[in-house]
Amino acid sequence: MKPDIDPAAARQARRARLLERARALRKAYLQVFGIPDYEGYVAHMAANHPEQQVMSQKEFFARAIDRKYSKKGPRCC
Amino acid sequence: MNRIASVVVWPLIAIVGAISFATLALGRGETVNAVWLVTAALSVYFIAYRFYSKFIAEKVLQLDDKRVTPAYRHNDGMDYVPTNKWVLYGHHFAAIAGAGPLVGPVLAAQMGYLPGTLWILAGVVVAGAVQDFIVLFASMRRDGRSLGEMIKMELGPVPGSLALVGVLAIMIIILAVLSLIVVKALAGSPWGLFTIAATIPIALFMGVYMRYIRPGKVGETSLIGVVLLMTALLLGRTVAASPTWGPVFTLTGTQLAWCLILYGGVAASLPVWLMLAPRDYLSTFLKIGTVAALALGIYFVAPELRMPQISRFIDGTGPVFAGTLFPFLFITIACGAVSGFHALISSGTTPKMVEKESHARFIGFGGMLAESFVAIMALTAACVLDPGVYFAMNAPAAVIGTTVENASKVISSWGFVITPDVLQQTAVDIGETTILSRAGGAPTLAVGMAQILGQAVGGKAMEAFWYHFAILFEALFILTAVDAGTRVGRFMIQDMLGHLYKPLGNTEYLPANLGATVVCVGLWGYFLYQGVVDPLGGINTLWQLFGVGNQMLAGIALLLCSTVLVKMKRERYVWVTLVPTAWLLVTTLTAGWQKIFSADPKVGFLALAERFSSAAAKGTVLAPAKSIGEMQRVAFNNYLDAAVCGVFVVLVIAMCIYAVKICLTALKQAQPTAVETPYLAEPGAAE
Repeated sequence: MKPDIDPAAARQARRARLLERARALRKAYLQVFGIPDYEGYVAHMAANHPEQQVMSQKEFFARAIDRKYSKKGPRCC
Repeated sequence: MNRIASVVVWPLIAIVGAISFATLALGRGETVNAVWLVTAALSVYFIAYRFYSKFIAEKVLQLDDKRVTPAYRHNDGMDYVPTNKWVLYGHHFAAIAGAGPLVGPVLAAQMGYLPGTLWILAGVVVAGAVQDFIVLFASMRRDGRSLGEMIKMELGPVPGSLALVGVLAIMIIILAVLSLIVVKALAGSPWGLFTIAATIPIALFMGVYMRYIRPGKVGETSLIGVVLLMTALLLGRTVAASPTWGPVFTLTGTQLAWCLILYGGVAASLPVWLMLAPRDYLSTFLKIGTVAALALGIYFVAPELRMPQISRFIDGTGPVFAGTLFPFLFITIACGAVSGFHALISSGTTPKMVEKESHARFIGFGGMLAESFVAIMALTAACVLDPGVYFAMNAPAAVIGTTVENASKVISSWGFVITPDVLQQTAVDIGETTILSRAGGAPTLAVGMAQILGQAVGGKAMEAFWYHFAILFEALFILTAVDAGTRVGRFMIQDMLGHLYKPLGNTEYLPANLGATVVCVGLWGYFLYQGVVDPLGGINTLWQLFGVGNQMLAGIALLLCSTVLVKMKRERYVWVTLVPTAWLLVTTLTAGWQKIFSADPKVGFLALAERFSSAAAKGTVLAPAKSIGEMQRVAFNNYLDAAVCGVFVVLVIAMCIYAVKICLTALKQAQPTAVETPYLAEPGAAE
């Protein structure tokens, strides 16, 4: 227990946690329905390939959709 | 907590399951509540998952969480993405669930609810879930390679090519049979046709919106799409009743077949973002939503099963499909028990997204259990219908005629008493002019769903709405499958033609693209047309052809799994895959043999073909054909079907010989010889 905690900071931390959770939920929903996740891609690029050019959202989306359906990946009956 | 679980919870589930089964199997003379059936299924799933899949994961496959999965090894933020276990489960389920588990059980309901239930449950635990799980595991250990590539790696190049030919043949048949289901559901149904036709402009609008107006806003776009779709569904009733527009949307089967062929060719040539992607999102939303609604509906409404436990039609004289319980039940119910098509999904996107090896158990085995549950619900929906209504909807016109009076007379003579008024009233309730001979599963399921959901929400007044909603939901993902399947078929055809003449294999070369599309659409279109004009209904031929092909593909996938286990030197556990392989080979080879050579023209293709061609040679016209030309066409088509069936049989036998040879060699080796991607430990694992 720290009695000198700033209520504004606590509120902010709570809000950040909530935002985090909302983001995770959104990501889950995108992935379940197989919708390309641009934020995930940007995060991946920033973390692993910071030197490379990041695609714009429009470009990423077009590319991801084309890739998803132009493969030989069949679907079920 | 875990101790309590194992001491209290599992025995409890076992007891609940046993009581449910006893109620289902031993109830005599009185109807049984559908809740028992669903509960029995759920307890089987829980127990199989907890014990059998654990055994496979720990002892047979020895899943290793320290081993880096392809999702991490090749992480590119696009295809290879480590994905949360639950999320990937949902994604995998959405990918494997299609029309298959909805259609097969509905057709098999003619034998009563018990045979279908038992096969769905035994099949999924012993064969289907095992196949999905082990193929996923094998692909995960091989950088997410596809089934064809894995067969090439482990069994050799010739079996690899054979498998590709088999997959293409099955694709063609499935596209034809799915389209045929849509034709059967929409012929003479202006409300249904209007709604389905409206999905095309809606999808195009969504495609443009998602690409140019609000790029990447899939959720927003889909919401608009769903609202437009529901508007079209409500508007459909008015359109159907309109004296000008009603007739425009009232098409015959043949007209619809041509529309679908044209649609398939055009849709598969459009850029994917324009129609395929938006429609795919819409259908996935509807699919998951509807499946959940149906499960809740069954528990909430708790309808009685009105179909008998075991009907007299196990002797092979049933009107829906010909052939005795063994082997034809096991061919008819494909996807809900075991489906070769899943081997293609389990070696497609999913293995590239698995975070940890141990997750494969939940995703592969567990995902298939959910698919099986969909099949159980489809069977339930068909069995809560009045059996008289069920047979009226699924028997061909050649058997029950085209009037409700005649149909009720014929069906009542089978022991399922039904009055013409009930048949007519059912059609009126669902907002259609007739329910007779709407084979193919979709309409039957839609009536069942309409009655279940109608009792939950809206009552009788809403039944017509629920019926057309169910038709929309099925047609939507069938049309998506037709579009995507035609594209896949085109790639495969180009791949093969490329070996003969290089430029034909170039997927960037437009004339080659269009040519391959025409070939693909032409192939499935031919079978579709043949099915539509077939006076015996078409579904009973094509669905069984598909069943044979699909189960044989499962047999091939399980042969691969067995080979992989032997090559890993886990031969003491090879029974896990060998038992289902053997069962699939026995049932499919028997069924294949009977479909080709049976002397009964209702079952055997050759017998029927000979009967028609010899009669045509003598100049006599056999009903239901109307001319000598039609007779010759029936004969030719049956010879063709026999040939396709023969190809499947030869393929699977060849694959079996190759697998045995490879396994015998591997048994003599002291070391494992499976071709896995070299072991790479997770960076944090050593600490």
